[in-house]
Amino acid sequence: MSCGRPHETPCTEVLAAMGAYVDGEVGAEEFRLIAIHITECSPCESEEQAYRRVQALVVRAVRRQVAPETLRAKVRTNLMGHNTGDPEASE
Amino acid sequence: MATTMDPDSAPERDSESAAKKNARSSLSDSELASIFEADALAYLDQLYGTALRMTRSPADAEDLVQDTYAKAFAAFRSYEQGTNLRAWLFRILRNTFINNYRKAQRQPSSGPSEELTDGQLLDLEQRNSGGVRSAENEALERLGDDEIAAAMATIPEDFRTAVYLADVEGFSYKEIADIMETPVGTVMSRVHRGRKALRALLTDYARERGLLVEEDQRESAGSIQERAGESA
Repeated sequence: MSCGRPHETPCTEVLAAMGAYVDGEVGAEEFRLIAIHITECSPCESEEQAYRRVQALVVRAVRRQVAPETLRAKVRTNLMGHNTGDPEASE
Repeated sequence: MATTMDPDSAPERDSESAAKKNARSSLSDSELASIFEADALAYLDQLYGTALRMTRSPADAEDLVQDTYAKAFAAFRSYEQGTNLRAWLFRILRNTFINNYRKAQRQPSSGPSEELTDGQLLDLEQRNSGGVRSAENEALERLGDDEIAAAMATIPEDFRTAVYLADVEGFSYKEIADIMETPVGTVMSRVHRGRKALRALLTDYARERGLLVEEDQRESAGSIQERAGESA
């Protein structure tokens, strides 16, 4: 899908790199080219927004869990077991 | 599967040359445990959250985290200072999950919902190749957290973990590549494909709940299904 106008960087390339672009994982030059493209091309801009939207939804919904206190205690106890004995023994 | 560099395998206790370079070699077990507790236990919540996403079961997640800490501590003496401790712990978690839990997980009906097959994933990815309407964005925003978590749970584990590590834990692709022991290009692809599938799933949920009404009949994906449903 394209807005139909010619761009320095083709929509296919922009869409393929969109995930990396949103994650800040593209080089400076590629970043610049994609950023320019997005300002010129509304379908690609919508695509960028959708990416960020899904990302934000995941972060919102799957926010970091807090480990049960019992788990922390168990890990500590296991460490103390290592501490007093031969570490090989508990493997 | 395990390589000599793999923290999941037995630590190199015999290697004197490696031990000499490491200040930890002169520490007593209790001193080492204190350092480990202070440094590594800080990541307990993060590891537990990731374990929960991987296993999709609180009981399995607890066991997985305990196993991870046991393995990490066993290897901690030979762990080189200056290495990325958080990524190192996540890699041990991931290896432990693959070696001890993933096979068991593949048994039918062990999880809250079945993971998608490769074919279903591809189908989802290809569905959303068109542009987005603002209606879709708005509809997705109105989905509940439980629906989003449920969609996450159905994405195949490799993709789910890559998306989780990138979005929730904020790891770079390079760090995720280290954790998942795959090339950076594979990480990029998994994150990309995982998000695409997730978006298609969420769009489906929104449509099922009537949050998304297809206004534009030219849109192919959903409206074909709807039309098929109407004529039936």
